[in-house]
Amino acid sequence: MVGIMPLDDVTVLDLTHYTAGPFATRILSDYGANVIKIERPETGDPARMLPPFYEDKPGLERSGLFLWLNTNKRSITIDLKKEEGRELVLELVKHSQILVENFSPGTMDALGLSPTKLLEANPKLIITSLSNYGQTGPYRDYIGNELNLYGMGGSMIGAGNIDHEPLKTAGRMVNYHAGYVAALASALGLYTVEERDELGDHFDVSIFETATHSIDMRLNRLMGYQYTGRLAGRQSQASAVGSGVHPCADGYFLITGGARFIPNIIRMIGMDELLDQEEWSTPEGRAHPDRIDEFLPHLIPWTLSRTKEEIRKEAEKHAVLGGPMNTIEDLMNNEQFIDRGYFQEIDHPETGPIKYPGYHFTLHRDEDQPMPDRKRAPLLGEHSEEVLKEIGLSKSEIETLKKQSVI
Amino acid sequence: MVSNNSKSLPLDGLRILDLTVVWAGPYATQIFGDWGAEIIRVESIKHFPATTRGMVMRPTKEMVSQKGSLSAYPDRDPGERPWNRTASFNAHARNKKSMTVDMTKPEGQEVFDELLKISDVVIENNVPVSMDRINVNWERVSSVNPKIVMLRMPGFGLDGPYEDYRTFGSHMAGVVGHYSVMGYQGELADMTGNTLTADAAGGAGAALALAAGIRYRNHNDKGIFIEIATAENFANYLGDHILDYTVNDRLASPMGNRDISNAPQGVYRCTGEDRWIAISVNSDKQWESLCNLIGSPELAKDPEYSNVSRRRSLHDTIDQLIEAWSIGMDAHKAMSALQAEGIPAGVVMNEEDAFSDPHLEENGFWETLEGAETGKYQYASTLWKTASTDRSHKRAAPRLGEDNEYVYKELLGFDADKYAEFESAGHIGMDYDI
Repeated sequence: MVGIMPLDDVTVLDLTHYTAGPFATRILSDYGANVIKIERPETGDPARMLPPFYEDKPGLERSGLFLWLNTNKRSITIDLKKEEGRELVLELVKHSQILVENFSPGTMDALGLSPTKLLEANPKLIITSLSNYGQTGPYRDYIGNELNLYGMGGSMIGAGNIDHEPLKTAGRMVNYHAGYVAALASALGLYTVEERDELGDHFDVSIFETATHSIDMRLNRLMGYQYTGRLAGRQSQASAVGSGVHPCADGYFLITGGARFIPNIIRMIGMDELLDQEEWSTPEGRAHPDRIDEFLPHLIPWTLSRTKEEIRKEAEKHAVLGGPMNTIEDLMNNEQFIDRGYFQEIDHPETGPIKYPGYHFTLHRDEDQPMPDRKRAPLLGEHSEEVLKEIGLSKSEIETLKKQSVI
Repeated sequence: MVSNNSKSLPLDGLRILDLTVVWAGPYATQIFGDWGAEIIRVESIKHFPATTRGMVMRPTKEMVSQKGSLSAYPDRDPGERPWNRTASFNAHARNKKSMTVDMTKPEGQEVFDELLKISDVVIENNVPVSMDRINVNWERVSSVNPKIVMLRMPGFGLDGPYEDYRTFGSHMAGVVGHYSVMGYQGELADMTGNTLTADAAGGAGAALALAAGIRYRNHNDKGIFIEIATAENFANYLGDHILDYTVNDRLASPMGNRDISNAPQGVYRCTGEDRWIAISVNSDKQWESLCNLIGSPELAKDPEYSNVSRRRSLHDTIDQLIEAWSIGMDAHKAMSALQAEGIPAGVVMNEEDAFSDPHLEENGFWETLEGAETGKYQYASTLWKTASTDRSHKRAAPRLGEDNEYVYKELLGFDADKYAEFESAGHIGMDYDI
């Protein structure tokens, strides 16, 4: 029976590290899953040593990236290269519904933890493998990271300026997208096992393929290319009338114009009479490329005399599609996010209480229960004993594993 | 992969009422449809959803041929019914059904009630005021079907000062600070505001929310209302930058394609028009291999370049050396050469590359479907793979109202007379009547 959260009675064995995999299991834990993160003894998840660090001092428990990606999880250290470690994983598998891993393809097999072995231990297990290029195909063993995976799969060729090199998006968007997909594959696999009484399964999530299959422009452009033969490429500053990143009193404001939306923009800047002129009165006329340069002298003085937030309010009023080019500081002070209580403060022994981004989505349960507070990321190996006790290991068995340096 | 194609699609039998528009919401239902759920798009011939089925209802040939046009049509011809031929719709709507009803009329509202009663999920991603107009909210939906899962995905949430603020993914990205991180180093924000990652994140998030909601319903025997504010969901993608600010008071600034931990890292020009290779060096060993490959072996041993921070301070010089090599290389050959040396590298693939890529080909990534008013084109397969299920797509994107007969007659039991009555009352049709 599910209690408060949808995944409350689901245990996820988390053999992921770095970013994409931990993002996947973090989302599952957000919605109730009991995530047991298996880490390498002593060094743990390599993301523990990735910046930004609290006070810029590196340390296993000080990485902002790690702290954020691993909230709610419990950490157990296991040496997977030891036979006892492998057996421990197979024992944990018996108590789990989902296993997520993001080793290089072939690694799990080499560790004696192939899908066949895992499903022998638990025939109902959902195994989700997340990797750069997937478990099969000529690029299977290619090395990849955010930059080149975005180049290969994503919409990078269309990102940035026409007179510059293609430009990476912020952060690790391609990895997180694949992480989301891995969480989803796991959840839908669970549905199949529970609702259709199927056996477990093995899912193959490729970051390259999820990027190629992303609706961040790529999917649309791939269809558009088939329709027209046109390579989208990068665009110039103003590719449609009114569109662009325009300077304003305190920064920049992004507006989406074009034939369909320009009338609202015209009304927003109080130039309604323009719409009476012949070339501005029809969609065909407004779509003419000459309109682009004609319109800027009307628009720019208007934006320059207003702040980002003033323009945003006007945009909202006139149904103009646009948004301020904010900083992270602007976000932290944003009235909407504050009004909705988005940010969460989470305490941690190394950093003290700090603000984290809030939930991805909110469950409105009919008892009017608020979303629970997230727990901080685990210290390395913090829950080793707790977890092993839960699956029935005795104190002396745990001591033996410690002596053998398995945990 | 561990077993053979023995299973039916995992979500067979699940019915989703789909009131989504543009991209973020449709991406969620696309995923569910790909895995077997019945997706019924609820549309209206009395309302043209701009950007969902094209930017304008009837663009001219000239308009769709212009550079920068957001809508692509087969052979650059909008055709008789342009709304069935636009790439942005057809790219996501495979495996979905389309019915039409005018929900501004009382009998349209009754039809919607009947549909709610026989559905598992209802999903929408409109600005809240649009849904208020047709009385789509949890109170109404749950009173008709207490066991339904309802997902609403407004840009900024169902309340608060931004409630009525309508945006695309790019604008939400602006609000949450995405473009303070993405951008060319030392240059003004220019046309970097052209990414719709928030839509992809929103779609994936909404799909996961549905999966969670459906499990909650099945195990508790009651419905649930879920709200995903697309901007809140997307702000999570900046988690490490947010923490850098909240713990260190440091504001991110654009670094172009460079990185703190990997150097050199960049996108370098190759032979041909708009051809590029993305290279990222994340160890001293890789740096050594790179130096040898690009014909500068002396740098591999040069202490000036011996670690990441030194290489970062000499990045401009290194970039010139790499580009002097890459400019004479075919991008794909450069990738093979770099990967053979264990250096993370990838071609910045254009659209043509994706359709001729040997890896995607071997993995059966593309699938050909024929659309009644478009023709034969290739569609991406499911977002993840399993050997246990036949994952092939069932059909191309639905034409507006294509499934009216199925929905009204088979699902709702309309007889010919009642169907005709709804046709003449402006509910049922395949052409906009505006």
